[in-house]
Amino acid sequence: MRIFVIGAGQVGATIVQALHDEHELTVFDLDEERLAAISQRYDVHTVEGNGASRRVLSAAGITEADLLIACTSRDESNIVAAMISKACSRRTTTIVRTTNPEYLDVWREGQLDVDFIVSSEVETAYAISRTIGVPAARQTDVFAEGQVQMAEFDVTEKADPSLLGVNLREARLPPDSRVAAIIRGDSVVIPRGDENIRPGDRIVIIGSPQSAQAWGALIAPGTGKVRDVVIFGAGRAGTAVARLLLEQGIGVRLIEASRDRARYVASELPQARVYHATGFDPDFLERERIADAHVAIFAMRDDMKNHFGAALAKVHGTSFTVAIVHDASSQEVLERTGIDVTVNPRQITAEEIVRFAHDPRTHQVVMLEGDRFEVLDITTRAGSEFVGLAFKDMPIRGALIGAIVRDGQAVFPRSDDMLRPGDRAIIFTESQRVPEVEKAL
Amino acid sequence: MSRPGFLAVDVVGALNIVGTLVAYLSLSTLVPAAVALGYGEPVWPFLAAGALAGGIGGAIALATRGDHRLNVREGFLVVSLTWLAAAALGALPYIFSGDPQLDRPIDAYFEGMSGFSTTGGSIVTNVEELPRGLLMWRQFSQWLGGIGIIVLALAVLPRLRVGGRQLLEHEMPGPEIETLSTRIRDTARRVWILYIALTIVLFGIFVALWATGVDEEMSPFHALAHAFTTIPTAGFSTKLNSIEAFAPTTHWVVIVFMVLGGINFALMYRALVRRQPRTAVRDQELRLYLALLALGSLVVVTEIWTEDVLSGWEAVRAGIFTAVSTMTTTGFSVKDYNTWPALALMTLVGLMFVGGSAGSTTGSVKVVRHLLLGKILRREIDQTLHPEVVLPVRLNRTVVEERTLRAVSSFVLLYIGIFVLGAAVLAIDAARTGLELSAFDAVSVSASMLSNVGPAFGIGGPLGSFEPFSDFSTLVMTGLMWLGRLEVIPIVVLVSRHYWRS
Repeated sequence: MRIFVIGAGQVGATIVQALHDEHELTVFDLDEERLAAISQRYDVHTVEGNGASRRVLSAAGITEADLLIACTSRDESNIVAAMISKACSRRTTTIVRTTNPEYLDVWREGQLDVDFIVSSEVETAYAISRTIGVPAARQTDVFAEGQVQMAEFDVTEKADPSLLGVNLREARLPPDSRVAAIIRGDSVVIPRGDENIRPGDRIVIIGSPQSAQAWGALIAPGTGKVRDVVIFGAGRAGTAVARLLLEQGIGVRLIEASRDRARYVASELPQARVYHATGFDPDFLERERIADAHVAIFAMRDDMKNHFGAALAKVHGTSFTVAIVHDASSQEVLERTGIDVTVNPRQITAEEIVRFAHDPRTHQVVMLEGDRFEVLDITTRAGSEFVGLAFKDMPIRGALIGAIVRDGQAVFPRSDDMLRPGDRAIIFTESQRVPEVEKAL
Repeated sequence: MSRPGFLAVDVVGALNIVGTLVAYLSLSTLVPAAVALGYGEPVWPFLAAGALAGGIGGAIALATRGDHRLNVREGFLVVSLTWLAAAALGALPYIFSGDPQLDRPIDAYFEGMSGFSTTGGSIVTNVEELPRGLLMWRQFSQWLGGIGIIVLALAVLPRLRVGGRQLLEHEMPGPEIETLSTRIRDTARRVWILYIALTIVLFGIFVALWATGVDEEMSPFHALAHAFTTIPTAGFSTKLNSIEAFAPTTHWVVIVFMVLGGINFALMYRALVRRQPRTAVRDQELRLYLALLALGSLVVVTEIWTEDVLSGWEAVRAGIFTAVSTMTTTGFSVKDYNTWPALALMTLVGLMFVGGSAGSTTGSVKVVRHLLLGKILRREIDQTLHPEVVLPVRLNRTVVEERTLRAVSSFVLLYIGIFVLGAAVLAIDAARTGLELSAFDAVSVSASMLSNVGPAFGIGGPLGSFEPFSDFSTLVMTGLMWLGRLEVIPIVVLVSRHYWRS
């Protein structure tokens, strides 16, 4: 495919990284240095210019493009770029990144002529709510309208002893789930029955939402249901998370340093309790018993503030902390210094966009561990070579079918079940095998 | 610009509007003139009053014409002066008719203010001796004042060269006006149409009661007279013993329409005309209004029944009627409650401070202010324990601005201050002139006047009159009615130094 990527910031760069191998990319940006950094690393064409300009887009050959991804940090530029693209070339699919959830609503109601819109804030909120829905999960995602869930766990010595060091075939694992990958050091194994899980491993499971919960309980015994969440920072991201959690019936307290913003959010979210405070005052944390919350989420704009706030919350005894991280390089620092989960909105946005950029049959794609692995959601063609084969006999290496959706219902296959035409298969695979898997099915 | 340099207020411009309004309002004397003509009574007092007021108003308007830019500030002056002038227009026919009960200018002015402010307290000792034309003028002036003179002007007059919204805000009861359309004049029109429609319906019901023999006293004259004073929750009656003169069925009808008069007209318009009854059912103020009416009625009925003042249906009817009449600041009566037990009377004084809904025809504090005050207090307690918590106050799910909340708090404080001051001045003046007025009576008179209820306790009770009060006290009571009708602030603003200077 010929893909135009407008904006070479963090989101743009992540998208380029994920797509440059398989596709022909043209990257637009106003900043020469950003483009230089990208063209040094990847074999892509770069254009220094305004992607929201018809002249620039036409000159670059917009009519030849299959897909246009507008992912600058400015919503309006992205929308204008997509609209100009639609006007010049009807066949070009457009994806727009927005930070304003209102545009998402407008688009859903069919009032924006854009094929796909990704809101960083809303995606981040989903990511966080999924994470705290299964407290021990590092990253989770849902497929098949929520019937299939994927979760990534860090296994520690605290995990249930019946799990550790036991061959997967013999271990009593939660029903309706499969271990999709075991990441140990630099190696990633798509396990067969003779593998086992050890402390220090990171594992990826695919299964029903109930089994994901059960896995959470196995990996981190004693983590109960979340009822009380404190969010530091009531910006767009913090508010989006709060709204999502409130919808799930979870009590939310928001702490916001700006008086006007605090007032605005308090009026927007009547069920939440909003405080006008920095969140760094120990007296305040003590008085309002902030540490008693099940989860503390740090959604301030400044990574360092989030880091400090999370550390302070840990000192005060908060058991589970989640931080939104804007700079990819701080992500590692935060995770290594005790913050339980970090979420990078730009990475999440890029993932969402890349997911859409794949084969039209591929509804959803998740990037794991950089871009080495992906989870695909593929509908089986009638002529597929796998139809009629039992799962245990499938010859694909480096791929695993975690679940299939048959007649709208999720089925978690046993080894002698067979694949039928029309089944939607949720497949965990190495990135370089994606075309191979897509072709085979 | 015709504005003197040291004044920040365009007094001339304000007078121009007041003059125009008075000139138009003077046309209203034609209604009692027609009644007088029909009953063969002298017509000239009404025509003379109309001509005089129209002449003066017109002259002022002509003398002050020019290019005026009227602003928020002038609005206060316009509204305050208009209502003083309206009371004067109300007084003129009483003076000209030479009726011995009303011909003293101070008394006539009191009656005029009691009319337009829809208070309903009277200086007349026996209304049944007044000529029909004069009686109808009393009733009609209450109907004109009920929903507001400026609302009427906005709805009817071709153009007011002033921000109608500001004027309306000072005149319409309640902390904020609720609009029914983008143009304020359409809102005024719709409110008036609903007001007229309700009056016609009530008149029809009264006449039907009379025609079917249910209530032989309710002749078309009395039907019109009481329709004019029930919808605006005003309280003047053409009968010496008020609604007691009519049949029990009529009492129930009046109760229903007093309750309707106390509902926000914008809300009623939405529910009835736009067929959105849900907004009304969910309205927090309406719910509290009805709940307080029920609670007040329950207490009064229980008191008079258990103390054996009345019993059975009579106790229920009289108790509900009196509680509703007092809380909606109407001031009709079906029993002389002066002899009722103390708790019942205390409850009634309490109800005087409640009033009806914002945007209704009632006086007093208004239910919505009590509602907001309760929410403010609850928030204050929460914030004492949690200083950092941000708690917007909501009314019907909408956040109420902090400015409005401050205005509500200061309004209630000011209202109580003026009430206390009024009671003290009346008590002291009564002692000076040797008038027998107990402390509780003085309190009730001040509360009744300020809340535009009308009758109070003691000599100012439902069967009594305010005639025994001294001229000075009469003026004080007139002032209280004026303050109460305009909800204090527009008038209090005028005595501030900051108002007049830039």
